[in-house]
Amino acid sequence: MDLQEMMGLPGALAAFTYSDRGDLQSHVLREGTELTPQVLDLLARSCVANQAIAEMEARGWEALTGQSGFQPLKGFSVVGLEWSVVVNGNCGVVVRNRDADYEAAFNALQAP
Amino acid sequence: MHIVKQLMAIPGVIAAGEYAYRGDRFSYQGALTDEFARMASILCRANTLSVNMQCEIFDSFAENCGCRPVQGWIVRGAQVTVCAVGNYFSFIENRDELLNDVMTIMRAKVGDVQDDLLASLYARLGGDTKEALY
Repeated sequence: MDLQEMMGLPGALAAFTYSDRGDLQSHVLREGTELTPQVLDLLARSCVANQAIAEMEARGWEALTGQSGFQPLKGFSVVGLEWSVVVNGNCGVVVRNRDADYEAAFNALQAP
Repeated sequence: MHIVKQLMAIPGVIAAGEYAYRGDRFSYQGALTDEFARMASILCRANTLSVNMQCEIFDSFAENCGCRPVQGWIVRGAQVTVCAVGNYFSFIENRDELLNDVMTIMRAKVGDVQDDLLASLYARLGGDTKEALY
């Protein structure tokens, strides 16, 4: 995943990649943002956890209700007051809510 | 217009509802049974509490970094997306621009909106946010 391409998304403040365990592997921060590499490191770990929980919930929901359309999951996002983090797989992007295009972000994260 | 009714008027919204933070009350409209809506309410409450806890930790490392208070979360499925803002949730189809519209309305109605005033006001009135913007 090209982090510079991710930074081209509307309102992008940071883009990052992480390992399956949540270790931050690479990141780009927009100048002037309040985010720090330490926050991104924590964010990456929470992303792994949230995706695992969402996978479990989607699997359970489909099995219990008989409804389909959730799996395979295409990503997870936490919407904060000023920014949202959008993640899928081992890559994430932080976007300013004012400019956020969630669909564009999720679509960009589907790219191999 | 009530947010659930407003959301349900949008083509592609499968179901929408409200849940109590205590976890014992819920209401909904759309293609869910009472039992599925109860389960969805519990799931949404648990996820909301979880992301709130996470953001409190982020905030302790970078005060006023912009994540608190948490507005909500999104789970993007293969054909269906679940959005939760405040104590409201919606199940929507993955259609072009639907997610962005639903999030704009939900944030305007129940989120702590600091910007997007025009879109926010139109969403509060029950209008089409795109029509207002473009």
